[in-house]
Amino acid sequence: MILYEYEGKKLLKDAGINIPNFQLIESSDLDSSGFALRMTGEVVLKAQVLSGKRADAGGIIVEDSIEGVASSLKDLFSKVINKEKVEKVLVEEKVDIAKEYYVSLSYDTDTRGPVLNISNKGGIGIEERGVKSFPVDPITQSVILSESEGSNLEILHGVYPRAKRRVQNDILEKLINLFFEQDCLLLEINPLVKTKNGWVALDAKIKLDDSAIKRHEEWQQYPPRAVPGYTPSDREIEAKKIDEEDYRGVAGSTYFDFDGDIAVLASGGGASLTAMDALFKIGGKPANYTEYSGNPPKEKVEKLTQIVLSKPNLNGLWVVGGVANFTDIYETLSGFLDALRKITSKPDYPIVIRRGGPRDEEAFEMLKKVKDFDLHLYGQETSIAESAKVIVDLAKEYAQRKNL
Amino acid sequence: MLLLPEGAKIIGQGITGSEGSTALPTMLDYGTKVMAGVTPRKGGQEILGLPVFNSVGEAKEVVGEIDGTVLYVPPLFVKGAAVEAIEAGVKFILIVTEKVPTKDESYIYALAKKNGISLVGPSSVGMICPSRKIKIGSIGGATPERAFIDGEVAIISKSGGMTSEIGIHLKNHGLGISWAVGIGGDRIIGTDFGDFLLALEDDPKTKASVIFGELGGTYEERVSILKKQGKIKKPVVAYIGGEFTERLPSDVQFGHAGAIIEGDRGKPDIKRQILKDAGVLVADDFDQIASLVKGAL
Repeated sequence: MILYEYEGKKLLKDAGINIPNFQLIESSDLDSSGFALRMTGEVVLKAQVLSGKRADAGGIIVEDSIEGVASSLKDLFSKVINKEKVEKVLVEEKVDIAKEYYVSLSYDTDTRGPVLNISNKGGIGIEERGVKSFPVDPITQSVILSESEGSNLEILHGVYPRAKRRVQNDILEKLINLFFEQDCLLLEINPLVKTKNGWVALDAKIKLDDSAIKRHEEWQQYPPRAVPGYTPSDREIEAKKIDEEDYRGVAGSTYFDFDGDIAVLASGGGASLTAMDALFKIGGKPANYTEYSGNPPKEKVEKLTQIVLSKPNLNGLWVVGGVANFTDIYETLSGFLDALRKITSKPDYPIVIRRGGPRDEEAFEMLKKVKDFDLHLYGQETSIAESAKVIVDLAKEYAQRKNL
Repeated sequence: MLLLPEGAKIIGQGITGSEGSTALPTMLDYGTKVMAGVTPRKGGQEILGLPVFNSVGEAKEVVGEIDGTVLYVPPLFVKGAAVEAIEAGVKFILIVTEKVPTKDESYIYALAKKNGISLVGPSSVGMICPSRKIKIGSIGGATPERAFIDGEVAIISKSGGMTSEIGIHLKNHGLGISWAVGIGGDRIIGTDFGDFLLALEDDPKTKASVIFGELGGTYEERVSILKKQGKIKKPVVAYIGGEFTERLPSDVQFGHAGAIIEGDRGKPDIKRQILKDAGVLVADDFDQIASLVKGAL
């Protein structure tokens, strides 16, 4: 989960890291008479959206009068930045900057561990500037750094007199502690600035590790949110709810709509990727992408099937997965069949099923008895790509018949 | 030692839980020497005739030296269980559990590396070697021979399901396997493609390997580096899943925790190109894998 800047800054403040004085304004505050600015002098208005590059989109405005603030707030609340509607604006005291730096902590697959990323030059366009990365030892939670590396970086200057010494820099130590304590996947401060009163974090981008949610009750305060720069469809929102209500297995946590005519109910993380690539490759047009895996109960598969089949103008359904190691095929395909039976506008388009795994013989026996749907059953002797070809051809024929 | 010898003695931590107790009889049936289970507060019980102990240390006192442990403990207890195994001197750890927090994964990896321990997973479906009668984890379910017959090709896959799928594909084309392993699709994994391929260089049985990669991370890229350096000499066939995800917004996780494109990192088409440039045989279609393997043997 990615946090909004104002949520991230609260975490920084709690960790003892200085942030500018701020006030969070919600769009509803402007409607009522309750809005009053608690700051004087120059302020920075920052639209609270999850996507980066908001400055380029006009999401950051500097004002020095109450009238200017009021009019700029109106302006920001009318904006949609990278597909996200602005609902909250952070108003901050403008800080006198002596020097800007970039600091972030993240996990790197090269070192297979946490890394500290630093640049002497913070600010916009950091992607093009030199960022140096240093491994952080997850056991001691200290930075692994040689003297020669450290001496090139002003932010560390004088801080690392000897190689491999534990971090003594107060601000970095606090950031590292926060990164680990809050199970962050990313903690990015750009810029971290030096002022005459010490270090101040002017921005905060924090990504939390969803796998750690069970040991962070406090994360429940963060409302659900979409992917940055993207507006989820109603089906996507519905699909995501399936896992929230039942922790067993995974069903629908990834769902995307496409504009094609073949509904897809895939299973298995890797198999569903392989299946979608195969479908696109032969010119098939999926209506959606979604996936279930990890042996979910049949009720979850039933719900996901209903969402997948709720799309209009379908010409086929492809139920596809690999040969599972431990997902119960009878159970999951029973859930699929339950959904088929319950759906009000009964699908008469072709349905191709390619699946295998525990209790698949029982599952196929059950499905063979189904006569009121146009089912086509394939097991491990038919490859995923071959079954893609079957559904594409059948859907084409169905569409032609329909249009006669 | 990553490639365990025939007759290797294994214990199962958390094997009394629902997933573990489903997998246990399939391991025993295959011939794997599972000696005991370890579940805190269940010491003294039995499972399928095997003794259950409260700790790895207690298990070792009774059953003697062990070669490895397989972990089926709940996600937030994985770190503690792995640390316990490492401190008790176990040299091989395979973690089946999914959804282990990244912080814990990095801790376990660092500790295992420091102590020279072979770590597979987390989120590993398991590991199988037909010629040595070893099956650790859920790999192949109750009917591993459906997907894995004895042969000369190794399978290394980020996806558990695709480990079996590749096994079946090879079997349908008359090829068997030397080893198959699900290395897991998380951000931090104990054994990556490169580690496994390096170990297989010294395995006389293995003549070629198939790797299943996907979007996210840099573990596929490391194979190309090792190949270019000449450290991997045996032929490698690669399939990289998830090209269609480049049509969708980035920063979205697809199935596995590590299957995520962040910025420009982790794109399947770039991985494919890098692997091709290094001399890895890249299958554009999954169904081409067997013919590429045959061509390389």
